[in-house]
Amino acid sequence: MKKRSLQIVAVASAAALFLAGCATADEETTATTTTDQGTTTETVVEAAVSVLDSVKEAGTVRCGTRDALPGFAVLNDAGEHVGFDSDFCRVIAAAVLGDASAVDMVDLETADRFTALQSGAIDVLVRNTTWTATRDGSEAATFLQPTFYDGQGMMVASNSGIDALSDMSGAIVCVAKGTTTEGNAALESSRLGLNWEIRSFDETDLILEAFLAGQCDGWSSDVSQLTGLRSAYPNGADELLILAEVFSKEPLAPAVLDGDTAWAQAVNWAVLATIQAEEFGITSANVDSIRSSTEDVGILRFLGAEVPGSDGAAVLDPSLSLPTDFAYQIVKQVGNYGEIFAKHLTPLGLDRGLNSLWNDGGILYAPPYR
Amino acid sequence: MSSLPSTPAKVPFYRNLTALKWALQILALLLVFALLFWLYSNYQENISKSNIQTDLRFLDNPANFTIPGNDFDQSQPVRDAFVQGFLNTIRVSFVGIILATILGTLVGIARLSKNFMVRTLGTVYVELIRNLPLLLLITFMNLGVVLQAFPRIEDAWVPFDLFVVSNRGIAIPWYLGPTGQLVLIIFAAIVIAFVVGKLRIRQADKSGTQDRAWVYGFVVFAIVLIGSWIIFGYSFETPFVEGRGTTGGLRIDPSLFALLASLVIYTSSHIAEIVRGSILAVNRGQGEAADAIALSGSQKMRLIILPQAFRIAMPAIGNQYLNLIKNTSLGATISYFELTQVAQITVGNGSPAVPAFTLTLLVYLGISLTTSLVVNYFNRRLALVER
Repeated sequence: MKKRSLQIVAVASAAALFLAGCATADEETTATTTTDQGTTTETVVEAAVSVLDSVKEAGTVRCGTRDALPGFAVLNDAGEHVGFDSDFCRVIAAAVLGDASAVDMVDLETADRFTALQSGAIDVLVRNTTWTATRDGSEAATFLQPTFYDGQGMMVASNSGIDALSDMSGAIVCVAKGTTTEGNAALESSRLGLNWEIRSFDETDLILEAFLAGQCDGWSSDVSQLTGLRSAYPNGADELLILAEVFSKEPLAPAVLDGDTAWAQAVNWAVLATIQAEEFGITSANVDSIRSSTEDVGILRFLGAEVPGSDGAAVLDPSLSLPTDFAYQIVKQVGNYGEIFAKHLTPLGLDRGLNSLWNDGGILYAPPYR
Repeated sequence: MSSLPSTPAKVPFYRNLTALKWALQILALLLVFALLFWLYSNYQENISKSNIQTDLRFLDNPANFTIPGNDFDQSQPVRDAFVQGFLNTIRVSFVGIILATILGTLVGIARLSKNFMVRTLGTVYVELIRNLPLLLLITFMNLGVVLQAFPRIEDAWVPFDLFVVSNRGIAIPWYLGPTGQLVLIIFAAIVIAFVVGKLRIRQADKSGTQDRAWVYGFVVFAIVLIGSWIIFGYSFETPFVEGRGTTGGLRIDPSLFALLASLVIYTSSHIAEIVRGSILAVNRGQGEAADAIALSGSQKMRLIILPQAFRIAMPAIGNQYLNLIKNTSLGATISYFELTQVAQITVGNGSPAVPAFTLTLLVYLGISLTTSLVVNYFNRRLALVER
């Protein structure tokens, strides 16, 4: 009898323990950040405090990112994050803190990224994340202006004899775990009746190994990612072929925690400013001369310069809780959208396509700054 | 007598050892509960601030992913995906436990062999394998052995036209026919073999000859199985390469193979040590008595030493079974669709993390506790009953 009751106690305490485990799981992700723990816990506990305030207080933006996606975020030889996503982290820091280098890059696994956001381990997520309804609704994330309009495609070996998705009946398709990619591939497979076997891997490196060893027929991901991976393929980019078919909409957007309008607005306008700057033709090279010489009221407002008016000169402050010269800082320290794209994505062989300005055949369109 | 002091003064409670021990225990318990409560209230507070689901409604959402080696459809609910993950976990655990026990016992006996080669091989195996981290073993088995050392599907290895071995999996011949009926046949064959074995033991006890109940049982089992196989029209189907895959037979997923092989190798090295220790723990006199009545070496091992050794080994081996079951979760790192992988993927596809992983934890707990119960039952059956 005694033994039996001991077992019951054991089960009960095990149950209690894992309840506790659930709570600690969130805290453990916090522990992975490099910034001080104090602010982290406080932002979690005090609901009323905007992340904007805690970021200003800490003096750094903790940006959820990754370290192994060519073009978007990779580590260079000096151990710094380089890429399109990394630059948008810097855009946010330049806008909020006036210093593009005040960023803590927090590398996250794909499957952990939303937990990191929910637990307050990061301030903003800029990590090739597709904006979907479920994520918007149930992951406590607010998605903002997409930085890149992408779509899912398929990459195969050039010598495989595969020219279109319809050639891939019964194929083994390898994808990254915990992404929209799995769902899109499964849907496309059932829509075309191709009966793919879809294998999910933790890391792109592991997919690469499996692909090189001939375990996968196809490698499915967002076309931008595939382009980056193809350019870095060990056997040479010519060995790989990205099929022309694109079978999903993937707007990649930064995300912040739900219920923090001030912070969401700040991040949103930081991204929009890069688009607006390109539209105005302002680049990091000419921003100073434009600021001092232009008479265009729109540009002066945008750059936070004094605009002459009937009752003296004034600086436009739209009350976004951002410094009035945030757009100037962004363009000066990082660059406009076109510059960021040209620096990181054009070398991979990616076209602007949908990611051109609205007046240039694309869908990038910033609301007026006034 | 009267010169001795009367009964000593009552010990105050703060110097009463029993009271102090109780107080410490209660204090420790309170601290633990306070910690748990603090963590739980934090969780509640954090959750209430963000708009995250905390219930199990997500189980009814469509899964949006597929499971290799399975006709699981992406439109089926998350619930079904969890069931498939659970079945895959059970599958690996069950086969792994059986293989690890057999291999572990053989290596354990080999470690005590009088033959130098056998003994050294056993020692090298145990010392090499049990000193490696399991995760590393699994990763190596997947990346190093299955992906690189197995041939590509274009030049797959087809021994005897029966198997197809490539880095896309190992296809083996498999039966064709209704599964449920086959399970029933096997069950019936086991029962009949068991009954025949028992009868044989009773008969042998009367005549005083050796029973060889296992041989009788096995022959009966084989006869019943093969007989029903023919009567009910079962047949074998051999796999062959077709295009960039295999058709026919049963295909063992490459990641399943890597996981199973690693788990079996790893756990067997631990079981071998337990078996070796337990054999050594059997009273020397037992072996000498067996020699005295002129039992052969194998009889001595089978009839005298091993039954007593297993009695000693059972609790420790049970622990290894539990470890193996829990270690199947490492399959998630090499893309084997067991419970943990399913949980990770469904969380990545929009299921809330805390309830999904809580559910997963509970399932593992359930599997482990059930295994404990079974092991404990056998342990009680095997334990010395003193009358």
